[in-house]
Amino acid sequence: MSRLHILAEGRWPGPEALDDSGRAAAPALPPLPGFAASSFSPLVAETAERCLRAHFGPADAPDRPPSRTALLLASGGGDRATARAIDAAAASGRRVPPLLFFQSNPNAVLGLVAARWKLTGPVVAVSPPGSVPGEVPPDALELAALLLSDGDADQVLVIAAEQADETAPPEGAEQPGPAARPGPPRPDEQPHPGGRSWPAAPPPHGDTAVALLVTLA
Amino acid sequence: MSANVPPAARPVITGLGVLSACGPGPGPLAAAVTHGRTGFTEVRRFDATGRRTRRAALLPDPLPLGVAVAGVIADACRQAGLDDVPGASDHPDPHPVAQDGAASPDGTPMPLLLALHSDLRTTEVAARVAESVAGRWGVPGVTRVYTGACVAAGTAVADAAALIASGRHARVLVAAGHLVEPGVFAAFDAGRALARDGELRPFSAGRSGTLLGDAAVAVVVEAEQSAERRGAPVLARLAGWGRSGDAYHVCRPVPDGEGLARAVGSALARAGVDPAEVGYVNANGTGSPLADRAEALALRRVFGRHLEQLPVSSSKSVHGHALEASALLELAVTVGALRDGLLPVNAGWLGPDPDLGLDLVLDGPRETATRYALSLNSAFGGANTALLVAAR
Repeated sequence: MSRLHILAEGRWPGPEALDDSGRAAAPALPPLPGFAASSFSPLVAETAERCLRAHFGPADAPDRPPSRTALLLASGGGDRATARAIDAAAASGRRVPPLLFFQSNPNAVLGLVAARWKLTGPVVAVSPPGSVPGEVPPDALELAALLLSDGDADQVLVIAAEQADETAPPEGAEQPGPAARPGPPRPDEQPHPGGRSWPAAPPPHGDTAVALLVTLA
Repeated sequence: MSANVPPAARPVITGLGVLSACGPGPGPLAAAVTHGRTGFTEVRRFDATGRRTRRAALLPDPLPLGVAVAGVIADACRQAGLDDVPGASDHPDPHPVAQDGAASPDGTPMPLLLALHSDLRTTEVAARVAESVAGRWGVPGVTRVYTGACVAAGTAVADAAALIASGRHARVLVAAGHLVEPGVFAAFDAGRALARDGELRPFSAGRSGTLLGDAAVAVVVEAEQSAERRGAPVLARLAGWGRSGDAYHVCRPVPDGEGLARAVGSALARAGVDPAEVGYVNANGTGSPLADRAEALALRRVFGRHLEQLPVSSSKSVHGHALEASALLELAVTVGALRDGLLPVNAGWLGPDPDLGLDLVLDGPRETATRYALSLNSAFGGANTALLVAAR
């Protein structure tokens, strides 16, 4: 495999997630217009932006020329909240929220990042098995090296994102009825009153992503 | 643009397996596209009565997706003659290096690049495919799953070609599958992406959207020397490939087609082929008013006046839009067109869109003697792929 040089890195959560005692705080992802049903795309966008700012400076810098930067999103789990919202809405027979049309697909948020930062390289999404949150899967780096050596990009922005909370109902999406609701039982459905409790609407937490801007060494 | 380094090997296609709404195998698919016999029917697989559009190109008796993909992989490997490689067809080989000298220089086995929709079932389907094929034909399992929407399979083919051309591997298996299911159907319907009148009419006046289709497809991509050495059939050559991004929008193509034009330019440059040598384009042509117009402008950018005599069609108009599998299904159609010398018909035509100015293949069978054909795909996020296929 060709050797890679890391130009910049971005992470979510970053150092701001630690307070003075070193404990993890609960950071809130910046909202992403048009992507309200799930934390996945905001997670990808914010992590990508952190990495790109570290290398390019502000996104709105005047006269920045387009760069032949590819976007490569690697996520073992993908956008489960949106997938559940679509399945549930379809199963209910009700109208699916129209915004879920483009949110149904991991490429969409990459298009948003590419447009904002003028990144004209290939747009690629993969689902590596056994992804470890907070780490870039080795296969994603191998694919980045292939894209670079093949000549369609000068840099690759590799984003590894994992949505940790599978139980959070999608914000802004139509909620399915009890019969169609996937996932764990609601509190009033707990078979054992003293057993593990499930919050009715837990806030998204534990979403983790890392972005690396790489080029050939 | 490709790196200015001579390739270590030329990638060719030695095996192809396909299952589509047109029937099992490449024969029924070729017959349907060359005569413009569309495969669309009323959706009864699930309740679509609440949707604006209720038609799609469906397999009459769909298998589970993982089984369907495993089946076409077996077909592709059989056609490639890999069943005849001693020890390659049955059980896992503890040292899975092909015994015909076709293994890559470092002795790695044949990778499997798989394109699937990203949803709650992706992992399960990939595991089913891996379970079915691991250890056969030197395939170690599923090497990588591409989930990048309508260019997922096109990207996988480009990457397979790059792996061959760079000498990293001597054979790469690419597979893809998509079955029309209620969630995606409902989302596309909600996004008003499906044709209101139930017909897919690429580049036509009055086009109103796309229609989805079932497909499972697999190809064996192999170094030409390796194929020749073991006497494998060569169906076509992957002469060039290109990938690009529009840097424009989450789901709309850049209106002037600049991004797709760059992908085509990359494929042509990599092959060293002049635009005037291209004799057919199997266009992305989803039937979307905006996307079809952008694609026509991309073709105008690349081909200029040659476009006036360049036959173009979108075979989606016959077999439907197979999303993550679409690029591989359309590559299969394009390979068939070059081998048979018959171009796919652009079905669903109502009349010219004066903005487009394309030489559409409107009646069939239409003969061709061209040596080069392009297969194009675009996706959400502004992703584009171009595959340049050369006849053998």
